[in-house]
Amino acid sequence: MNQIKNMKQMEEKLHRADRKQSRLYLFCNFMALMIISAYSALMLSPTVQRVFPKGGDSRKQMYMIFVMTLVGCVVFTIYALGLFFRHKSGQLGILMALGASRRRLAPGLFREVITLSGVSAIAGTAAGFPLVWMIWHGFRLLLVDSSDMILTFDFRCLFISLLFLLLVVGAACLTAWRYLKRTNIMEVIREEHINEPVKELGRWCGPVGMLLILSGAVLGYGAPLACTAWFCVYRVPEWVSVLYAPVFVGLYMVMLHTVVHGWKSHRKNPYKHIISRSMMKFQGKQTVNNLLVITLLIAGGCFAVFYLPTNGISAMFRYASQPYDYFYKYQADQDVPDKETVEALGRKYALTFQDWKECDYVTLGIGGDHDVSEEDGIHFHTEYTPMLSEAKVLSEDAYRTLTGQEVDVVPGTYLHLENQEESSLYTNESAREFTNMVTREQLDVQFAGYLHYDLLVEDIVCCVLDNEDYARISEGLTDDWRGHYVEFNVDGRDSYQFANAFYHLFVSSFDETCERPGYYDRVQKIRENEAGVEYWADTDDFVIISYELADSFMFRSFWVYQPNFRILDQNDYLRNMSVMFMMFFFIFIVCMITALVVCYTRCQSIALNNRYIFDDLQKLGALPAFLDQEVRSQCSNVFKVPSLVGMSAMFLLFAMILYANDGRILRTEWAAMGICLGIMVLFGGVIYAVYRASVKTIKRQLGV
Amino acid sequence: MLYVKELYKSYEAGKNKYEVLKGIDFHVAKGEFVAVMGPSGSGKTTLLNCISCYIPFDKGNIRLGGMELAGMKEDALARVRNTKIGFVFQDFMLLDGLTVRENILVPRIVQGEVEEEAEKLADQLAAMFGISHILNKYPAEISGGEKQRAAVARSLINSPLIILADEPTGNLDSKSSRAVIETFNNAKEQMDATIFMVTHDSFAASFCDRVILMKDGVIYRQLEKGEDRSLFQDQLLEAIKEMSAQ
Repeated sequence: MNQIKNMKQMEEKLHRADRKQSRLYLFCNFMALMIISAYSALMLSPTVQRVFPKGGDSRKQMYMIFVMTLVGCVVFTIYALGLFFRHKSGQLGILMALGASRRRLAPGLFREVITLSGVSAIAGTAAGFPLVWMIWHGFRLLLVDSSDMILTFDFRCLFISLLFLLLVVGAACLTAWRYLKRTNIMEVIREEHINEPVKELGRWCGPVGMLLILSGAVLGYGAPLACTAWFCVYRVPEWVSVLYAPVFVGLYMVMLHTVVHGWKSHRKNPYKHIISRSMMKFQGKQTVNNLLVITLLIAGGCFAVFYLPTNGISAMFRYASQPYDYFYKYQADQDVPDKETVEALGRKYALTFQDWKECDYVTLGIGGDHDVSEEDGIHFHTEYTPMLSEAKVLSEDAYRTLTGQEVDVVPGTYLHLENQEESSLYTNESAREFTNMVTREQLDVQFAGYLHYDLLVEDIVCCVLDNEDYARISEGLTDDWRGHYVEFNVDGRDSYQFANAFYHLFVSSFDETCERPGYYDRVQKIRENEAGVEYWADTDDFVIISYELADSFMFRSFWVYQPNFRILDQNDYLRNMSVMFMMFFFIFIVCMITALVVCYTRCQSIALNNRYIFDDLQKLGALPAFLDQEVRSQCSNVFKVPSLVGMSAMFLLFAMILYANDGRILRTEWAAMGICLGIMVLFGGVIYAVYRASVKTIKRQLGV
Repeated sequence: MLYVKELYKSYEAGKNKYEVLKGIDFHVAKGEFVAVMGPSGSGKTTLLNCISCYIPFDKGNIRLGGMELAGMKEDALARVRNTKIGFVFQDFMLLDGLTVRENILVPRIVQGEVEEEAEKLADQLAAMFGISHILNKYPAEISGGEKQRAAVARSLINSPLIILADEPTGNLDSKSSRAVIETFNNAKEQMDATIFMVTHDSFAASFCDRVILMKDGVIYRQLEKGEDRSLFQDQLLEAIKEMSAQ
């Protein structure tokens, strides 16, 4: 046996012997960096950046959940570091007690922590990229593939990983320095056995916590709406988000209740699970923090994954309930394939068509009320503007032809198109006149009610006028203000190949004047330019529309003349939304992995910290079944409560948002909620499996 | 050798302050084997930890071999702990990853390179304390008594001015306890070691030259051993009984 001769050799031997204890720290660092680098690599990849609209809600959600994941990773890395030093402290304390000075211990300790944290962090960062690549290509291979989904990386994302790596190494060095600076050597030696009891509150804290969660969610979500409705606040200040704070206080109280009291009544049998309850209580601070982070991560994961059914179901329902297989519109000055050309194309695919209907429409300026910001930039008032925005306008006859619905519009009034559920975001009941944008003729009108035809409802309002009014106001309009609606059905079974060929023929027949998004409002542009103001959409790069990218998510989601071809939309829905869906699915996976790692780490720490308690219990004659129960009881609290709270809180929040949108929950929304419930049950199964595996590992470690 | 004068130490727990040592005065001569006894909470271990510079004290003086410990810088204190003090803990505090021989040599390793002379001394100490056969074993492979004898050997490897022992027999059975006390006696007789031991065990204390009884942070009484160890143990038990009654 080689005799150690100096400090360096001794430290190396001790490190080798401590390898087991370093493993958890290495694992946590590795996981944290892998998750952070994978998430940031995907989030900042040109693939995702191209598809997620700048300033859009989806992008904000992606960033928000990233921050949450980051917090989760910071917490479990710092926690694992704490655990590592708790074990290390015994060794450090002995060496200090035997006369090793700070200066003597520092090089070895810093070398060890820098090596451990640095190597694990670098390995984690490097592993992040293959992880993204594998998951993404797994999606492409097994679920959906599209031209949007070609994955490229922007390696500037490494900056985030580098920052996190510095944080990990920095935190490790800072903790080492703090240990070395301690003057009370006995405290360092006994560190491993020091408890951190949490400040107790009564049994009321759990129910009050739940109330706070509910009230925080309602206040936080409702406050901006109330500010706008009651106080005419144009731009709700960001500090209003503080009203969400009770949610976090409530979550803390619920977790505190879980740790200190548990949710079961112990009046009948106060000694049941007394060991596990007291163990939790005496490591309360760390436990409550951990449970909170797990809850937030699970909530974040659910938030991301709920996006998929909520969007998917309503789209699928919309396509299925569409009354015609093909519906499209175009500007009259465009050379779009006529009926004969379409029929000829159909014949190539052995298709014949029926119910062919078409009609004209015009695009007019419509007046209306809108919110105008006050000089203070906070409040607003409602103002009427004659040429507020574009409106597509049909005559009574055209509407009758297209929809088959009987309609009678009183002269001097207009009927507004709405969808069946009257849930459209864009309506205008306040118009007093329509304006011919070429001759500037005006037609005085009044709102007279709604008509229902889903295909005509889009971002731009659509109205029906009396035949004579229509003829008068549209007189003198040039072709770029006129348009044509077409709809038809396939006689028999439709063909995706035909729809695809027709779609590309259709897109290629437009010239560059129509290469614009649907929200680009020509009436607003004219009004603002005439007032000497630059139109915002002329300089905004929110989305880029290009005929060359006719199959991209951006084009199909935002092009002004994007047609509704049922079979194409149904088949390509997942493909068009692939990047969005896959990103949110990826976020779900990352959040859940992070949450499960924190759960597993917490359970591991139970085993490591309380090994001596289990040893004592065994010596006192505790039966294996009793010890088994105590381990299970500890672990189940770590897994069960955050999962239940995180998932149900997010489910309720989703339900509240869906309800608050229009004061009811629509049929498609009920269906989406049902699917969300199913996902929760599925994920519950995964959590249960990891719980079982954790219990098994811990029992093996404790020798139970 | 060791002079302790007007030593005060208090702990703070929340808003409360607990005075643990309230002006302790005593001295230990070179080659003397002294025990401190007293009920739990009397301040014995705190006194030991202050002398060994493991915890800072509020006020007073501790002089060891002519050196004043109060106000010493951290590096100097570490040197004192390494070269002037040998410490024996109740729960041995051996490093699990090192063999018994390496554990004995740790104070030398902390100093710098381990010379052949140190290795020979380790072997001699092991032989003296009857642990030569376990020198290449790891702490997990040996008994509690053997661990504690290894810890005593470790405490002597740098030939310190004093050995401080905190309940060295507290975790041992009677046979192992006796072996450890004999180890101390050997060290005292063969190496002229000065030993200052905290103990609850009147049997272990009866081997000492002198016993300091502590109660509520002050020295209650000091007893010196005569010729007969067994009689001294009876005297100790009587004194403890009397102290408990007050």
